[in-house]
Amino acid sequence: MKFPLLKSLMFWTKIGIMCFLLFPFNNGSTAKAPGRDSLSRAPSPISSEGIVLQIEDDITVTGRVTDQNGNPIPGATVSIPGTSVGTATDIEGYYSLELPEGATIVFSFIGYLSQNIEVGNKSVINVVLLENPTDLDEVVVIGYGTQKKSDLTGAVMRVDAKTFQNQNVTQLSEMLTGTVAGFNANQGTSASGGSSLEVRGPTSLSAGTSPLIVLDGVIFNGSLQDINPNDIETMDILKDASSAAVFGSRAASGVILITTTKGQTGKPTINFTTQIGLAEVTNSDVRPLNKKEYTDFRRDLLIKENPSSPAYFYQNPNELPGDISLEQWINYNNNPNQDNTTEWLNRLLFFPEESENYLAGTGENWYDKVMQKGLRQNYDLSLSGGSEKIKYYWSLGSINNEGIITGDNFSTIRSRLNLDAEVTDWMKVGLNSQFSERNESNVQANLGQMLISSPFGSKFEEDGSVKWFPNGYLGAQNPLVNHLKQDKLRKIQNLFVTLYTELELPLGFSYKLSFQPRYTFLRDHNFWNSETILGGQTRSRGFGTREDSQIFEWMVDNLLKWNKRIGIHNFDVTFLYNIEKFQSWLSYQSGETFNPNQNLSFHGLQFATNHLVNNDDVYSTGDALMGRLNYTLMDKYLLTASLRRDGYSAFGQQNPRAIFPAAALAWKISDEAFFSSELVENLKLRLSWGINGNRDIGRYSALARLSQNLYSNGSQVLVGVFNNSLANPGLVWEKTQAFNIGLDLGLWEGRINASLEMYDMVTEDLLMERNLPQVTGFDNITTNLGELENRGLEFTLNTVNRNTNNFTWRSDFVFSLNRNKIVSLFGDFEEVEVNGEIITREVSDISNQWFIGQALDRVWNYDITGVWQMDETDEAQSYGLSPGDYKAVDVNSDGSYTTLEDKQFIGWSQPRYRIGLRNEFTFLQNFSASVFIRADLGHIGSVSDFLHNSSNLYDRRGMRAIPYWTEENPSSQFGSLTATSGAYGGGYNIYFPRSFVRIQDLTLAYNVPVSIVQRMKLNNLRLFGSIRNLYSFDKWENWDPESGGSPMPRIYSMGLNVTF
Amino acid sequence: MMNSKKILNLAILLSFTILSSCSEEWLEPKPLSFYAPENVYVDEAGFEALLVTMRKDIKSEFYAERGPISNEHAMSDLGVPGAQSNRVVKDFPQVLTPAGDGGNHDFPGRLFNIAYNSIRNANVMVSRIDNVDWESENIRNRLLASAYFYRAYWYYRLVNSYGDVPFIGKEVTGPKLNFYTHSRWVILDKIQEDLEWGVDWLPESADPGALTKGAGNHLLAKIALANLDFEGSIAAASKVIEGPYGLMTERFGIHASDPSRNIFWDLHRLDNVNDPANTETILSVIDRFLDPDGAKTNGSRLPRIYNPAWWHSRNRDSSGGPGTVADGLQYDSLFRGNGNCRPTPYYLYEIWDYENDLRRSDNNWVEWNEIIYNNPGSPDFGKPIDRANYAVAVDTFQHNYSFPHYKTFVPEQDPAANPAGGNGDQYVFRLAETYLLRAEAHFWKGDLSAAANDLNRVRQRAGALPVALNEVDIDFIFDERARELFTEEPRHGEMVRASYIMAQQNINGYSLDNFSDKNWFYDRVMRTNVFFQINLTWGQQSYSISPHNALWPIPETVISENTLGRINQNQGYIGASQNVPPLETIE
Repeated sequence: MKFPLLKSLMFWTKIGIMCFLLFPFNNGSTAKAPGRDSLSRAPSPISSEGIVLQIEDDITVTGRVTDQNGNPIPGATVSIPGTSVGTATDIEGYYSLELPEGATIVFSFIGYLSQNIEVGNKSVINVVLLENPTDLDEVVVIGYGTQKKSDLTGAVMRVDAKTFQNQNVTQLSEMLTGTVAGFNANQGTSASGGSSLEVRGPTSLSAGTSPLIVLDGVIFNGSLQDINPNDIETMDILKDASSAAVFGSRAASGVILITTTKGQTGKPTINFTTQIGLAEVTNSDVRPLNKKEYTDFRRDLLIKENPSSPAYFYQNPNELPGDISLEQWINYNNNPNQDNTTEWLNRLLFFPEESENYLAGTGENWYDKVMQKGLRQNYDLSLSGGSEKIKYYWSLGSINNEGIITGDNFSTIRSRLNLDAEVTDWMKVGLNSQFSERNESNVQANLGQMLISSPFGSKFEEDGSVKWFPNGYLGAQNPLVNHLKQDKLRKIQNLFVTLYTELELPLGFSYKLSFQPRYTFLRDHNFWNSETILGGQTRSRGFGTREDSQIFEWMVDNLLKWNKRIGIHNFDVTFLYNIEKFQSWLSYQSGETFNPNQNLSFHGLQFATNHLVNNDDVYSTGDALMGRLNYTLMDKYLLTASLRRDGYSAFGQQNPRAIFPAAALAWKISDEAFFSSELVENLKLRLSWGINGNRDIGRYSALARLSQNLYSNGSQVLVGVFNNSLANPGLVWEKTQAFNIGLDLGLWEGRINASLEMYDMVTEDLLMERNLPQVTGFDNITTNLGELENRGLEFTLNTVNRNTNNFTWRSDFVFSLNRNKIVSLFGDFEEVEVNGEIITREVSDISNQWFIGQALDRVWNYDITGVWQMDETDEAQSYGLSPGDYKAVDVNSDGSYTTLEDKQFIGWSQPRYRIGLRNEFTFLQNFSASVFIRADLGHIGSVSDFLHNSSNLYDRRGMRAIPYWTEENPSSQFGSLTATSGAYGGGYNIYFPRSFVRIQDLTLAYNVPVSIVQRMKLNNLRLFGSIRNLYSFDKWENWDPESGGSPMPRIYSMGLNVTF
Repeated sequence: MMNSKKILNLAILLSFTILSSCSEEWLEPKPLSFYAPENVYVDEAGFEALLVTMRKDIKSEFYAERGPISNEHAMSDLGVPGAQSNRVVKDFPQVLTPAGDGGNHDFPGRLFNIAYNSIRNANVMVSRIDNVDWESENIRNRLLASAYFYRAYWYYRLVNSYGDVPFIGKEVTGPKLNFYTHSRWVILDKIQEDLEWGVDWLPESADPGALTKGAGNHLLAKIALANLDFEGSIAAASKVIEGPYGLMTERFGIHASDPSRNIFWDLHRLDNVNDPANTETILSVIDRFLDPDGAKTNGSRLPRIYNPAWWHSRNRDSSGGPGTVADGLQYDSLFRGNGNCRPTPYYLYEIWDYENDLRRSDNNWVEWNEIIYNNPGSPDFGKPIDRANYAVAVDTFQHNYSFPHYKTFVPEQDPAANPAGGNGDQYVFRLAETYLLRAEAHFWKGDLSAAANDLNRVRQRAGALPVALNEVDIDFIFDERARELFTEEPRHGEMVRASYIMAQQNINGYSLDNFSDKNWFYDRVMRTNVFFQINLTWGQQSYSISPHNALWPIPETVISENTLGRINQNQGYIGASQNVPPLETIE
């Protein structure tokens, strides 16, 4: 017991146990924590029986109160302000109230914005209540517990899954693309959806920067893909160090807390949703050359490559200028073909296949074969309900999506069962479980091969088999060959279960024990038969691989909590002890050369004559201790302090453990006596500080590893070994220390809510792969060095612009920026001369493009200003370049482009500003609509297509259809068809602005009116439709400014939701 | 109720006892599917496994389309990179730069990386050899001698292709970034000393591909020669020559009964390299089609490198259409050549001083006019290629030239594979070279008759006339090496080695001080390689070379990543102005 924290925890635990043993249970009368009361605070229905009817000409108004999505709101208050007249809605949301003519009714419910309606002469008033976006009494999930929003001390953002229920969402991370200030997520482009995840900014150079996922209160190491978005109630994102610090070693990149739907007491509710959609590519400008472009391109290339050829040598003989006769053209060649077109095609170095197709007028439109419109289908069914003692929620969802590239397909079945049971009044047990199966058995057409394809190629051989090399060139493969001929089975099954018991103990204590096993089973089997290139040419008579892997990990959480109010002091204390173990097993086998035939595909690798096996089993362990105090003084001054100690087996044996402290303060200024403002409903200042860790490195990164090497002595296979990585027994955690200042402001009864966050994060002991000079024989070593800083600002504004019964309009605006800086790297210093003075400065890491004092995403390259033109031939030549080549700023004007002297900082590769604006409307009683506009601004990206790096192959294949410079058609922006990287030391690239403003989501929903729904014996029926990625404004020269080099889908979808 | 309370108390007690069981052992890492140095380098078998890797490392020289040995030919008197692509370096002064990769030949980086990776492996053995209590000195010394051999092999390659380089003599165990360049001469001293000790501990005979005394002495002969220790070189070479080796004179191996071939055809069949009858093999690398994936390569690539692209559509027939196709007739015997190393007329014609030389005999070679039109759709199908049909005369450069078929005939064992050269063993050291090394040592010593004697042993076997004493000079020796060792030796490096010998002794006005401005390598290349002489334009570049290109540039990243030291760049390349004097001692 070396650790003081552990010691003290043990001490307090013992005290706790003693207390617990000393005091007998007081069944049924366990004091409820004061804080809890507010959890269950519900409006007390005002009995209409108690109303004294005084006025003769009363009328009766009836109606239903629902939320924006048509779900009934039971228990909502319907009243006339200033009087005792009022009632509450029943479980179906219906009410009936007698009231005087001309009165104004107020509809209100906790968590929703109240609505005033003049009755007039209406007898039926149906009301849609808008959710209060920043309901202060709302309970927010924090690590290992919950807290009222008003009591938060850290920066926590909530995402309500209902906001996205009219959209087509495959993975829940898609809800986070642009919608939360400080959450940086880019959409995935494949049929499986998803998006990248990053909270605030990159806090590491090489370790992972994905936030930690906490699912229903426990750490979830599985894939987000396995959580059905339809099962999600809310997501809470912990952004600042203090709130995340309870997850210590895992928290430096932020935490996403996901809460799934639980059963409610009441009669069973069946909910069914179906959606059907269509995906198409947003940008069809990225495509291979068409026939005309292909012959022009080849002509222009050859003119450029053969400057000594006669003019018009490569010109189509039918398109010769007047001063060149056909005779002349023919005689350019010593040995012309009798057929002029054939001669021309020969001059263009057409392969025989290409000439044949050209002459026959045939060929292939590869774009139409490789890109497709994909059909998308979702079905979700859930069943929930419960008695007083047992509540259940069960769901089953299925998705079958096609992507926009031929062959891209994703299907999944996901099921969840949540059970809560009160065994006694002091003991609860429960189960949260999810099972999923993903089918990723797709073989996509090859996009890269499509872009270099020749329009004069053929898809099939004459005998009907797939033609490997459609135009005859071995380097241009048929983009469809694997899609058509490869067998693939890839299925992943996942089971994640949380089993827990919760005990109410005396004196405000409670104890929760939970056990979370997680299983993953993966099968990835492939077979390339002789009709594929891999199984027919690279290897012969078939090639098959089988990968089977299994993950089993478990975690145990022990949570002891104490909640006590003593006068003006409120204490909420949490202790955690956690242990975890991870194991995985991978078996890989491959075989080639199958006999007597290949018909068994990957089911019979034993019939191969040449085998290979590989195993990779992994083991790791961890443990954690954590204590946290939430202290509230006079309900106005809030303090959170926590300490966590983590251990993990992946770190060097010298330092397997680390300690992560955090603290936060908040002050509810608006609750002070001196503060009295009608306008301001809420004003709160928050301050937090904490240290968090990152352990996201390879599980064996600290160890030296020997790799295997096979050789032969001619009669026997020999197994060799070699050192593949360097050991680092001193490897430690990466630590991020962060400060956060936050200000929350609520105006006009919650109609305007704003919050501002500012933060400063410093990461030290960066885990990085430090490059080593090649003379060591190693590329790099995993080590802790340097310092990285992130500073940023986030602003969130929620407004209710209109709130009437016929029309409501609400806006959510988010803005964020993050600035990061590499403060230090290896601690190596150099003396250099800058402007005539010798200065000492820290050495940057050029090979990784990491520069001291600059952002991680700083782009350092040649500043390309244009293209050398014909009248600049001499100047270009002095750089070893020629007209048509790119022209860059020669910083030191020495007449050559050298890496260290002439590269400059020319931009950033990550957005400088991120903006999101959602507008939601309800209108005509039953309609709701929303539009979400997103902007990522100020960054640049490179598109290597414009470098023509493989122009040496252009005489035998095509390229992406892009504009280029020629002598006849000079461009000042785009270079000619030949590569010139040799003249630029260290290489260069062409950059384009990547800023975009995008109409990302558009939705429209219709709640079928109550009268119809009732006739259909339904509870609720909603029809909806949405469009994702409708349009984007940008100047990007590739598929999509968000995804960069992969095609982005535009998704149209329609759906129907019904509740019984 | 009390019952459940007790259970509850027990449960809580139990769960908290877990706390006290929290221990250091829990966090101990457990590597399961890989070995660590600590549990492998503990006995002979472990070190032997490391030796297997070093043995295999040498293979990287030979089995790639633009591998080190072919690069050594493609930048010499015997050849140039012949592919038309502008990614192929032709204009050496412009394109061969430390930062540029020298086109897809990667002259700066390829050999450099392979060499230092293997040196790393040798150093692991050198540094860890005494961590084991050896039962017998023999085992320890054999292992250490083997590590010394491989380390010496690579440093010999490095100092002859790059000149001065950093000498790493110990296992690197942490982030070391303060390397300095050592002088070429101190490295030669060190590896000669290592090998002189080690050669006695190597076995007389071994499995194919493994080290023997003969291999050790052959390498020692080379190193001593480079180090101007001519006596030492002669002594080492003599031990090989007197050893269990002999030049092959009788037909043998897989085609032994084919009367249309001769002994040189047999000698260069990859299947015959390790034929038990072959007494000429001193050290070889093993590559067998039937070996598993990791153990074999994609093939020798010899025809791909040295044969012309005769199958290309630029080979027009009399109708102006493509006369040849990459299929059918001839494709399975002349293969898919690419001229990655286009032999010079000097090699093809000029060095053959005696017409009956078996190494240039008609049945071993394919002449340019023996290649036929193989396009079944061509009116000239089956007729020999007519050079008048080319659109432009220069098209013959990559597509139609004569080549030594006996050195590049490597059929694919897999009928579906692209015929670029199948699997098979190759020579690393062959006895014929030992004679030529000793001849050169005798020559530098001034013993022309001994030199002529050794040359004539090689010439005699080839059926060539003996050389006269007055004909023996360094150019003749290198001509003889070319006649005998084309495709086998590190040609450029051997020429640089000879250039250093001359510079060190100030022969013919050469000197070490201005090596990068004036050296024998450059002078001989300019004297013999017509493509550089006439600055032939092929594709967008014209062939050109400068004296400083004799030494290849050190890759820029090696210099820039070595932030705490200074690795020198060779003179003539960008960055050389930052050089510091190379280290003259090895600690």
